[in-house]
Amino acid sequence: MASYVLKRIGSAILTLFVVAAATFFLMNAIPGSPFITEKSTPEQIARAEAKYGLDKPLVVQFAKYLKGYLTGDMGVSLKMQEGTSVADIIFHQSKFTLSIKVGLLALGLAVILGIPSGCIAAYNRGNWLDAILRVITTVGVAIPGFVVATTLLVLFGVQLKWLPVLSGSLETTAAYILPVFALAFYPSCYIAKLTRASMLDAINQDYIRTARAKGLKTGKVVFKHALRNSLIPVVTYLGPLTAYIITGGFVVETTYSIPGLGKYFISSILNRDYPIIMGTTVVLASLIIVMNLVVDIVYKLVDPRISLSKGDE
Amino acid sequence: MPRFNIFHTKVDDILAENEFCEADFASATADEKESMIEKHKSISYWKDAARRFRKNHVSMVALGVVVLITLFAFLGPYLIPYSYEEQYRGSMKLGPFEYSESEQLASDVLEDVDVVFSTSMMSGSLTSLKKGEYTFRYQGEWYTFTLKKTLRSGLLIYDADAAEPLYTVKEDDLLEGGDYETTAVAYTVSDTQPAVEEDHVIKMISSVFPHVFGTDSAGRDIMSRCMYGARVSLLIGVIASLIVLVIGSIYGAVSGLIGGKVDFIMQRIVELIYSVPDVLIVLLLQVVLQQPLQNWFDSSTLPLVKALSTLGVGIVSIFITFALLYWVGMARIIRGQVLMLKKQEYVTAAVVLGASNRRIIKRHLLPNSIGQLVVTTCLQIPSAIFLESFLSFLGLGISAPMSSLGSMCSDAIDTITVYPYRLLFPAIILSLLVLSLNLVGDGLRDALDPRLKK
Repeated sequence: MASYVLKRIGSAILTLFVVAAATFFLMNAIPGSPFITEKSTPEQIARAEAKYGLDKPLVVQFAKYLKGYLTGDMGVSLKMQEGTSVADIIFHQSKFTLSIKVGLLALGLAVILGIPSGCIAAYNRGNWLDAILRVITTVGVAIPGFVVATTLLVLFGVQLKWLPVLSGSLETTAAYILPVFALAFYPSCYIAKLTRASMLDAINQDYIRTARAKGLKTGKVVFKHALRNSLIPVVTYLGPLTAYIITGGFVVETTYSIPGLGKYFISSILNRDYPIIMGTTVVLASLIIVMNLVVDIVYKLVDPRISLSKGDE
Repeated sequence: MPRFNIFHTKVDDILAENEFCEADFASATADEKESMIEKHKSISYWKDAARRFRKNHVSMVALGVVVLITLFAFLGPYLIPYSYEEQYRGSMKLGPFEYSESEQLASDVLEDVDVVFSTSMMSGSLTSLKKGEYTFRYQGEWYTFTLKKTLRSGLLIYDADAAEPLYTVKEDDLLEGGDYETTAVAYTVSDTQPAVEEDHVIKMISSVFPHVFGTDSAGRDIMSRCMYGARVSLLIGVIASLIVLVIGSIYGAVSGLIGGKVDFIMQRIVELIYSVPDVLIVLLLQVVLQQPLQNWFDSSTLPLVKALSTLGVGIVSIFITFALLYWVGMARIIRGQVLMLKKQEYVTAAVVLGASNRRIIKRHLLPNSIGQLVVTTCLQIPSAIFLESFLSFLGLGISAPMSSLGSMCSDAIDTITVYPYRLLFPAIILSLLVLSLNLVGDGLRDALDPRLKK
């Protein structure tokens, strides 16, 4: 087990390094300089580049980034909030908290909605309730996230006027509802499908027959014996789910004009503020990579059937 | 005990039945011979799959929807008179089936006359017909006339029943109602197209085509933009999937067949790409690729590059993204399939006969993975469409004047409180397209590879 965990941690660090390197070299491949404006003279650009070390060779710059990240120094913003430390922008301004709040709420909501509806569908297999849930989840996993977000906006914000159209900085509870629901829609449908499939799988297992033979009530068999074991696929989905919540967050923040990290990340790309692009990518990628790592390890811990020696296929 | 009695009595009957008589040795008649012939033709893999697919009603309906959207995207633009990029004057911000003032006027006038041309409905920045020689075609004949002075915000009307069939009217005069002044225009009729400048051939209309989905803030027809958007989506879906198919299947087959150290290294690369959070890189890639691609398009004279440049930078950079990052899923599936297949006897036989790896992959391994290849490629189409619309929605994919369903949705958000229907049409078409492609893919999976059926 220990060697497996070490191996996984090693590959997670390698992945993070590759992401950082890819980001660094990609953003430097954008032609021109971030300091080019209509008025700037070549001398001004050169001076600004020298100030931030952009005149040095790329490898030196990259090494400087890496050294900085290892000591917790993520550099300073070049343009968007000139001179402010990137770590401050990401962690100490409201952007990160806003995105995290919406993301965590959506994650929670997806689990709370998804698992029970999957159970209900499996429990009612073949009847109308299962059919309705199946239609909803099939549609839910197919249509793009921004269609869901914008449709909810038109329906509840514009037509019915129940909820605010612009969520802004999420000062009221009502402002949270649309973004969180929009973000949770796809993952809840996915989790429901996953739970249904693995519940049906579990119901056919021998230990369920044993439980039934003991004379346990159907409800107890389903929710205690079958559900526990069918949650394992759901646990493994938490890794991709984190990735979805982050990228879906870009869409939701754009749709509802929430000044969160996702929106900021996209404008940092368009503005070519290198340290912010780099910092945000590394932070978001770490979230996803760490989540995948945790899920992989938990997965092997909770299910003794999975052999450790077989590698991570 | 009747059971045993029955047994005893039956034995004699059975023996009697087994005794041959003369008739048993007669030769069989032609009819009897015929009935002995095995009539079942062997059913091919594809026929069998098609039969299974047809039985799947959901997938058949989804296939119908895909066909409809494809027709809408590729035939639709020929059926409506509006173009996706042109900004029609005076037609800004119209709702579905609404007419602009000039269009309403023209359609009122058309109740009494045959064909009409309105300068106010012209596209782009031209709003008047300058003086000069013009021609138009009506019922197979070419009508040529000369305008002696510029026609500005006016209508050119042809009415075969009138004393002077061709005349012009000022739009303002018509709008005021009551009597209006007409100016007759002299014309000549000929069978062949007269030699006038190309932009002096005008298109008379016999009815005003409605803006079925309305128009956007710049006066562009939303239905036409939806058609082109759907076309872009379908093109991206199909081409990106083919790219994934080619790269993924070759990579997977090579890795699986060669095995050993090569396989180990190739699989570490796949794993690495797999674990990288793709969207973060893709967003950056879109911005990075814009400028170099544009330069390449501008400088190169190769026919292939010319063809690519007509697609535009946005679409080509999405192809590159797929070629770089999204083939790994396909590679994994094909490698798994190849690992299974390469132990089969016919592969061993091919190896013994001295076939090269390339031949084994081409002749034996890939053809036998055809089900997997088709299904995975088909399921790649909706995900490519998904990614394109996501990027365009965020403003990093395809941008105006080129239309994309994703960017139409994001444009609609700015005016969502006033014109919610602008979101509706592209969103519905996109959702229907992605949903039905997914359902078709699922149906294909069930039909081509019954073992995978859940």
